[in-house]
Amino acid sequence: MQSTRVAILGVDVGGTFTDAVLLDGGSVRTAKVPTAARQEDSVVAAARAVGVEAVERFAHGTTVATNALLERCGARTAYVGNAGFEHLLHLRRQTRAHLYRLCEPHPEPLVPLERCHGVRGRLGPDGELEPLDLATLPDLGDAEAAAVCLLHAYRDASHERAVAAELRRRHPGVHVVASHEVAPEFREYERASTTAADAYLAPVAARYLRALAAATGEAGLPEPLVMLSSGGVATVEEAAAHPAAILVSGPAGGVVGAGLVARRAGFENAIAFDMGGTSTDVCLLPGGRAARVAEREVGGFPIRLPTVDIHTVGAGGGSLVRRDAGGAIRVGPESAGAHPGPACYGRGGGPTVTDANLLLGRLPAELPGGLVLDRDAAAAALAGIDSEAVVEVVNAEMLRALRVVSVEQGHDPRDFALVAFGGAGPLHACALAEELGIEAVLVPNAAGVLSALGLVASDERRDRVVSHVRPLAEAGELPREGEADLRYRGQSFELTVPLQDDLAAAFHRAHEERYGYAEPGREIELVAVRTAEVVPGPALELQVTDCYKVEGPRLLELPGSTCWAPAGWSGETNADGTLVLRR
Amino acid sequence: MNVELQVVGSALRAIADEMNAVLVRSAFSANIKERRDCSTALFDEAGRMIAQAESIPVHLGAMPDAVAACLGLAGDLWILNDPYTGGTHLPDVTIVSRTALGYAVSRAHHADVGGIEPASLPAFSRTLAEEGVILEPQVLSDTVAERFVNATRQPDERRGDLRAQLAAHRLAERRVAELCERRGRERVAAAMDELYAYSERMVRAAIARLPDGRRSAEDVVEAVDGDLTVRATVEVAGEEIRIDFTGTSAQDAYNLNCPLAVTKSACYFVVRCLTEPDLPASGGAFAPVTVTAPAGCLVNARPPAAVVAGNTETSSRIVDTVFAAFGAVAQGQGTMNNVALGSDAFTYYETIGGGQGACADADGPSGVHVAMSNTLITPVEALELQYPLRVERWALRRGSAGGGARRGGDGVVRELRVLEDCRLSVLAERRAHAPRGAAGGADGAPGRTLVNGEEQPAKVTRALRAGDLLRIETPGGGGFGPPA
Repeated sequence: MQSTRVAILGVDVGGTFTDAVLLDGGSVRTAKVPTAARQEDSVVAAARAVGVEAVERFAHGTTVATNALLERCGARTAYVGNAGFEHLLHLRRQTRAHLYRLCEPHPEPLVPLERCHGVRGRLGPDGELEPLDLATLPDLGDAEAAAVCLLHAYRDASHERAVAAELRRRHPGVHVVASHEVAPEFREYERASTTAADAYLAPVAARYLRALAAATGEAGLPEPLVMLSSGGVATVEEAAAHPAAILVSGPAGGVVGAGLVARRAGFENAIAFDMGGTSTDVCLLPGGRAARVAEREVGGFPIRLPTVDIHTVGAGGGSLVRRDAGGAIRVGPESAGAHPGPACYGRGGGPTVTDANLLLGRLPAELPGGLVLDRDAAAAALAGIDSEAVVEVVNAEMLRALRVVSVEQGHDPRDFALVAFGGAGPLHACALAEELGIEAVLVPNAAGVLSALGLVASDERRDRVVSHVRPLAEAGELPREGEADLRYRGQSFELTVPLQDDLAAAFHRAHEERYGYAEPGREIELVAVRTAEVVPGPALELQVTDCYKVEGPRLLELPGSTCWAPAGWSGETNADGTLVLRR
Repeated sequence: MNVELQVVGSALRAIADEMNAVLVRSAFSANIKERRDCSTALFDEAGRMIAQAESIPVHLGAMPDAVAACLGLAGDLWILNDPYTGGTHLPDVTIVSRTALGYAVSRAHHADVGGIEPASLPAFSRTLAEEGVILEPQVLSDTVAERFVNATRQPDERRGDLRAQLAAHRLAERRVAELCERRGRERVAAAMDELYAYSERMVRAAIARLPDGRRSAEDVVEAVDGDLTVRATVEVAGEEIRIDFTGTSAQDAYNLNCPLAVTKSACYFVVRCLTEPDLPASGGAFAPVTVTAPAGCLVNARPPAAVVAGNTETSSRIVDTVFAAFGAVAQGQGTMNNVALGSDAFTYYETIGGGQGACADADGPSGVHVAMSNTLITPVEALELQYPLRVERWALRRGSAGGGARRGGDGVVRELRVLEDCRLSVLAERRAHAPRGAAGGADGAPGRTLVNGEEQPAKVTRALRAGDLLRIETPGGGGFGPPA
């Protein structure tokens, strides 16, 4: 590996802590500071804690967009659709929120009904049905942002372009986004939802990113690169223009970090297992790179943008434990949070997975911050619920998630290494690996700040999608690199296949692998082609001094996390400081 | 509960879910792939339902009868759609297969199964045979499959759907075998027993919390020859519920009839809403519920009565009536607004959401399916790419909700212009009778079906010419409590 002489900084802002990793000529410095109300302040504080001198590249993961979406503090946004289809964001796909709770509400759409408008003019799948009439465009009132989504714009954007141009002319202060600019793919609700979120978030994200660039510039740092949901970074201007693409920024950094750790430890295939306090993210990394999906739901809204394929479970170390009326032990989705925290924090919290781990001797008596854990409080809160059973139940949830991303996608988990991180990941990983037949568990030295490490190593990435929705045979020449979404004509769901010479044969094979059958006689439809322009991230060199060996059963305290190596597991750290545990 | 059994139980539920995902993602019928009108389940050796992945509630109670119908037969792979021996209505094609331990079941709504009208949803069928091919429970051989697909209007698409169902079964067989190997067959069998018993314990405890008593309620369906009565008497006694339909009209001369399996599904749905809405589905949940109805009545019809609208429309009314017998609730749209368009060249079927009735503590959502269905709407762009149809309006029907302290939900307006000559069938309800408000809340607006502006009856089958415009206005939900 080529050595690097320049300093590279990654700063990841989380809900509770902001993490920084600085790589300087092979030495690694990490820091954790509490997240402040103004994220840019935490970024600068974390950067200063590791040192800001001679930083050549600075990458950043942020929750600003996600928070604005979940806390509903985005812009006053208007929506313009075709006349007769104004209410699309409120109709969704017509399913109710819960099968058996009849009045359970969906999340309130980002655009209220009174700001949903229609414009006359209509395109069909094969051309114009009714000319666009810009005179029917409504006044946007005091809206700060506007989303435009017209039918069949994935194929012909002319009406959308004209509407967006007219709105920009009439309302120069309003941030206008047209659906073909952000997610040019068919299925109007999902496209409209993505566009609305993009418009809604843009003013907030732009304000933040500008403030961040100013603050970090003042601190002597270069212009930040921002982590996208796709697992690559982009410039501040690109992220500010389409903030719907940074909704999964933080978790994406962790996945990239896991891939880096696995590749450098010599494992080609890995599964990232990030178990935190309230939830757990798992992601498959075939060939050491995150699998991606074309769509993900965030806060109840479909977001049709390339996103690392993270499967999230609502259970983590802080999840509350109870026994239900049928006698089953339930873990989560309610959580003790940071306050009051698990019962063993001695602040009146309820019984949690952490308490069970403490009683099983898998946590130290005192946490790194100086918090002394109260065994009696943990035992009293669990009130006779067996700690082993609690861990088994939460592990069953984790197993299910790990199977969803591996077995259910046609991958045998035995061909993968498990990369454990997050506060509780290294505590549970070995037991899960045993269940799945996984031979190796990797615990990064930076397990507590892996997202920030991922930022350091991230590629620059710009994704593009071109909609086709036509027979593959009529597609003409396709790019040489990238992916194609294909299906048998008549199906509704596509399988994504890497672009290659005999694309049809590759699709039949993929269908056979995934669904157990192929139909070589059936016509194949090309729905979309996805390409990405990638500028590889910097080559890294890590120097680690404290190497050690481990023989299970053994409890290990790491910076920001705790590792439990059960009996039968042993291993040692590699040159990166990653602990490689094997059975 | 023993934790090992809980863990194995979670693996069984995961298998049922994975079957469902495979079926939805590889199917060809819009009903299955876009609208997820399908369910998958695992049963134990005794034919008890252990775990079910459900997209729509109408399959809840009706799947056990399908397995019961196959238990005595030779072979290890069976097919059926006969509503009188384990089915629901003919488009719902059920496959049952043996696994290493028990049975796997899939049920999916195929877009067309033959009969007198495209999409197999005729408004005026009088016998089951007019509604399509009848498959009594039988071994699924290649010959049977070919005979079935060739009796439908789109054999190629049907073949694709059957293959998707079979892919789900192969997956279940593989997964159950793996689980038995990993955990031991006896432990998996014990986990099945425990999943069943667990659901039963949970639901019994919840029923015990309901006040004991006996109440009746009545409502109507809008049949071709006039209104027919659904009467339900609900008795809560300790940990058990008995629901009886004595007093319900005799069976319909047309197709609003329900086999008892569909009636049970509707009753189970209500019990589920009122007891343990978050409990994973298992047959044990319904062990404490007894459903009876006089033979030959609308909700326990005798063969060969036609049944196609019973499954979607009468089942909605059974839900309303049983809810009413449990106490005052505002009614939702009470129909699925079934629309079928087709010719020899294409068939298209959709159901359309409307207003939910208000709850005592919440407004009713707008533009959703309200009871026995929860299927997605086909995207406008997908529909226009694939069919000779154009959508001209897809909007909330503002003002259609009933007011009150809590408002009902609004219905929707959907306009479809047909671009080729074809046949239309609409099976709908709540055209003459409005969804009722409760406790002083106002009624929702009844629905309307229009062709070129001309109002149509609740049930209609007719020809359309290229250029004709169909407009469906779905009912609003009733309000709850007097307005402030």
